[in-house]
Amino acid sequence: MSAKIVDNPFFVLGVSPDASRIEIEREAQKLLGMLELEFPAARVYMTPLGEQHRTAEAVRAAVAALRDPYQRLVAELWARHAPAQPMPQRGATERMGWTPPIRRSLGWKP
Amino acid sequence: MYALPYILIIRLHRLALDARRRDRTWRYYAYSLVAGLLAGILTGVALLGAWAMFYVGWWYLGIAIIVLFVLPPLQPVVSRRILVPLGLVRCSFWLAHFISMDDSDAYALCCAAWAHSMKPTPAGEAWIVARRDKRVPLGDSEIIVTALLASARGDADTTRQLMRSTAEMVENHPLVRELAGEWLAVDAVERFAWRELYDNSIAARWPASSLTFFLEGVAARNLEAAGAPSKLEVRIRWLLAPYKRATLRVLNDFAIIKKPGFSVSPPEPGAPLEMPAASLHPSATLPRALGLHLLFGRWLVADNRGLAHIVAAWDAALIDGETQKWLAQRALELDAPLGAVDRAIRDVATAVTEELTRIANAGSLGAPASHGPVGDALARRLRHGRLDALEAGFTRWEDRRHSGAVRSPIDEWREWVALRAAYDAAVAAGGLELRRLAFPHAYSKGTSMAVWLWNTRNEYALSHAISKWLLGEALEVGDTEAIELCTRNCRLAVPTRTGEVKVTT
Repeated sequence: MSAKIVDNPFFVLGVSPDASRIEIEREAQKLLGMLELEFPAARVYMTPLGEQHRTAEAVRAAVAALRDPYQRLVAELWARHAPAQPMPQRGATERMGWTPPIRRSLGWKP
Repeated sequence: MYALPYILIIRLHRLALDARRRDRTWRYYAYSLVAGLLAGILTGVALLGAWAMFYVGWWYLGIAIIVLFVLPPLQPVVSRRILVPLGLVRCSFWLAHFISMDDSDAYALCCAAWAHSMKPTPAGEAWIVARRDKRVPLGDSEIIVTALLASARGDADTTRQLMRSTAEMVENHPLVRELAGEWLAVDAVERFAWRELYDNSIAARWPASSLTFFLEGVAARNLEAAGAPSKLEVRIRWLLAPYKRATLRVLNDFAIIKKPGFSVSPPEPGAPLEMPAASLHPSATLPRALGLHLLFGRWLVADNRGLAHIVAAWDAALIDGETQKWLAQRALELDAPLGAVDRAIRDVATAVTEELTRIANAGSLGAPASHGPVGDALARRLRHGRLDALEAGFTRWEDRRHSGAVRSPIDEWREWVALRAAYDAAVAAGGLELRRLAFPHAYSKGTSMAVWLWNTRNEYALSHAISKWLLGEALEVGDTEAIELCTRNCRLAVPTRTGEVKVTT
C-alpha cells in the first residue's frame, strides 16, 4: 500500500488533487524539461513517507494514469486524504539523545 | 589445612551468589553485600600473599597465587570488563570453566560465546561450535550459546527467540540462565518494551544479575507499577549494577525523570491527527485511517492493539457514508465508468489488507475482531495462510523422521521453536476455534517426534519440552486422550547434566 502513496501521480507531479487536466499536463511538461536539463530540484519529490527520487518515466506514467478517470479517482482518494506533513520515521530514540543500540553500552551485542 | 579457610570463604561467596539469584526482595541487597565482602576478603588476603611472594623474590609463586586465588572471586568482573570486550574467546572459556563447579563447560561455553559476539571471528565460532556439538544431549547452555552466535551475526530476532525458548528446558544452569535473562532485559530496554521486562521480573522467569535487577526496577518505575522500587531503592540497584555511565542515563531518563515521547502504543481513539489541507469532505474517517496506517510499523510499534486500532479505523472509513458520497460525486465529475465507486473501495480494501497481512505475519500479530471490508478479509487471510503453513511445517517435520534425515540436536530445537512460533501465530489469528483445528496436527506429529527423540536419539530434555507443551495445549483444547498420554510422558524423570529432573504435572 505504501506504493499507492510513494508512486501517487499527484505526488510525483507535485500538483494538488484539485488540479485541472491542463495544469497537470503543463506541470508534467515543465518537469520533463527540468529533468532533461538535470535540474537538481526536479530529481526529488515529497510524499507523506518522505522524499522520493523522480524520473522522467515516473512523470510520464503519472500523467498517463491521471488521464484515465478511474485511475485519477483512486489516486485522488489516496492523495487527498494523506497527511499533509511527512510521517515521523522510526528513530524516535534519537530525539532524546538515545542513539541505538543501547545494548552495546550495556555490554551486549547486537 | 591452610587452604581450609579459603575454601570455606569461597564456598560461602558462591552460596551467597546462588541465594541472590533466587531472590528479588530485600535479601537480594543483603546477599550482594555479603558476596561483595567475601570477595573483598578473598582478594585482599590473596593479594597480600602474592605481594609477600614478590617481596621475597618468589615472583612465580606470586603469579600462581593471583591466578589461583584472586581471579576466581573476580571472574564475573574480569570476564565482563576485560575478556568479553576484547573478544578473548578461549580465555573467557577457561576462566569461567575454572570457577564453575557443576558441569563447568556449560557456563564456560556461554562466556566464550559472549566474548565471540563482541568480536566475532570465523576461528572463534568454529572453536565454540565444535565444543558445543560435543555436548549431547541438548541442554539450556547449548541453546544460549547458539543464540549468542546468532547475536554475533547481528541477528537479534533469532537470539531473542532462542533465549526465550530456554525457559522450556528442564535442564537449568543458574549461571547460564542469568546471562540469558540479562540479554533479554537489555534487549527489552532497547525496544522500550518495559511491560515485557516488568512481566518477566514479576514471574521471576530468569535469575537476576545486578544489571537485570536494576533494569527491572527501572521498568517497574517507568510503568508506575504497584510495588515499584522507590527512587532510593532504584539508586541502590544502580550502585550494584555495572556500566555506571550507561546505567545512570537509563536511571535518569526512564526511572527518575521519565521524559515523554516514548509512546509504544498507538494514540488513543479520537486523538487528533493532522488533517490534510486539501480535504474537502466533512468526514475525517479516511484521513484518520490513512494517517494511522502510515504511522503503523514506522513510528508506532506494530503490536496487536495497534493493528486492531488501524483495522477498525479502515473499516469505519470504508463503510462511512460520507466517503462513499464523496467518491460518487467525484466519479460523476470525472466521468468515471459505472461501478467505479464500489471498485475503488474494493481496491483500497485489497491494498490495505495486503499490507496489513504482511505486517501481521512479520510481527506474528493476531487477527483483530473488527468486522468490515478490511477486518473480515484480514482475518480470513491470516487464518488460512497460517493454518496451511502450520500443516505443511508439521508434516515436513515428521517426514524427516521417516526419511532418516537426522539433524544435530540444536537444529532439531530450532525447528521445533520455529514450528511453535508458527502455531502461536495461527492461534493468534483464529483464537480457540483455530486452536482446535491446529492441535490435532501438532499432537500427532509432535508426539511421534517426542517419542523418537527420547527413545532413539536420547534427547530427553528436548523430548520433554515437546511433551510439556503438547500437554499445555491439550488442556487448552480439552482433548482428554492427549492429556492422558502427554501427562504420562511428562511424568518420566528427565536425565540432564545437572541430575535427573522429575516434573510433577
